[in-house]
Amino acid sequence: MASAHRHKYGTKESELGAVAVKNHANGARNPHAHFQKEISIETYLKSPVIASPLRLYDCCPFSDGAAAIVVAAKERLPSPPMVPLVVRASVRTGSIADMHDRSSMTGLPATRLGADRAFKMAGLERGQIDFLEVHDCFTIAELMALEDLGFFPPGSAGAATADGTTQRDGRLPVNPSGGLKAKGHPVSATGASQVVEIFEQFNHLAGGRQVAKAETALAHNVGATGGSCSVHIFGRP
Amino acid sequence: METPVSALHSIADYRTAYEEGVRLRGVRSACGFVTATWGLVCPKCGQRDLVEADLDGRGKICAFSVQNVPSDEFLNDAPYAYVVVDLEGGGRITGWIDGVAREGDLAIGSPVEWVSSYKPGVHFRVRAGATSGSGAP
Repeated sequence: MASAHRHKYGTKESELGAVAVKNHANGARNPHAHFQKEISIETYLKSPVIASPLRLYDCCPFSDGAAAIVVAAKERLPSPPMVPLVVRASVRTGSIADMHDRSSMTGLPATRLGADRAFKMAGLERGQIDFLEVHDCFTIAELMALEDLGFFPPGSAGAATADGTTQRDGRLPVNPSGGLKAKGHPVSATGASQVVEIFEQFNHLAGGRQVAKAETALAHNVGATGGSCSVHIFGRP
Repeated sequence: METPVSALHSIADYRTAYEEGVRLRGVRSACGFVTATWGLVCPKCGQRDLVEADLDGRGKICAFSVQNVPSDEFLNDAPYAYVVVDLEGGGRITGWIDGVAREGDLAIGSPVEWVSSYKPGVHFRVRAGATSGSGAP
């Protein structure tokens, strides 16, 4: 998919690298991250090619980890001790299992469908989302997610990442946790850990990776090379 | 040769296929969708009106990746290219090409053909004498 995306949109190596550099910078500020170190674009460009065009620093690690979420009915929490997340949308979608049979090689149909349903369910527009946690199992996956979710036109998320739009202090922070790329990918816990990050951001507990505005956020999780996808939108009470 | 897709293959079917020689087979749906992935239901329209048919082994690369870190099955074949191929007679299939060490050795649009092989996976090679593809930027 990375080669097809590059062929169709001219996606640059430096744009993939910008995803890795950003997410490592966020991971360096996350005490729960697998990789708590920053990398430079030079380090990225010098790293070995694993599966072209993807280099070592394009790939998330296999991680051990755990995350927990307490789900409660509103009336059970009359005076919550912390700001709870209100589920504005919860959507699960699928794509055709075999990647080669899907309508697109440059994105995930499940993500596109999931985003459209989630925004409809929440009654919100893309512009009302303060920050995102997306499934960046590889750097190209973050770019495709941002395009499929409808935050950037197809082929433009790479340039937006390279110009800093998705950094912690950018217009639309993406993966302040460090993402799968740096926070790590403990497969079954990954989706829940995105929600934990959003909870910490809402409660201003994110320390050095705190985003400026944390009132509405989206979590996007993928399985089976995009065969399944979940999109959640959270707001404040 | 087309046969209706109505049930799972039996061991006798596999024996017959082996005796007839290895062919590249796929499934064609009544809606026109062709897939190399054998199944009982069309992944596009959801209907069960399917026939099994030979696929054209020739096609063009629509995506590829040179694998330097292989899976166990291809441990002795790295580096090689993982390719997704648009077949000339319709349908898209995933396979691999051995002996590809550099990204520049292939291009999206490169013409390839299926080769019958004892190795795992769907084995392709670049078509001899064919013009190269449109090239990756």
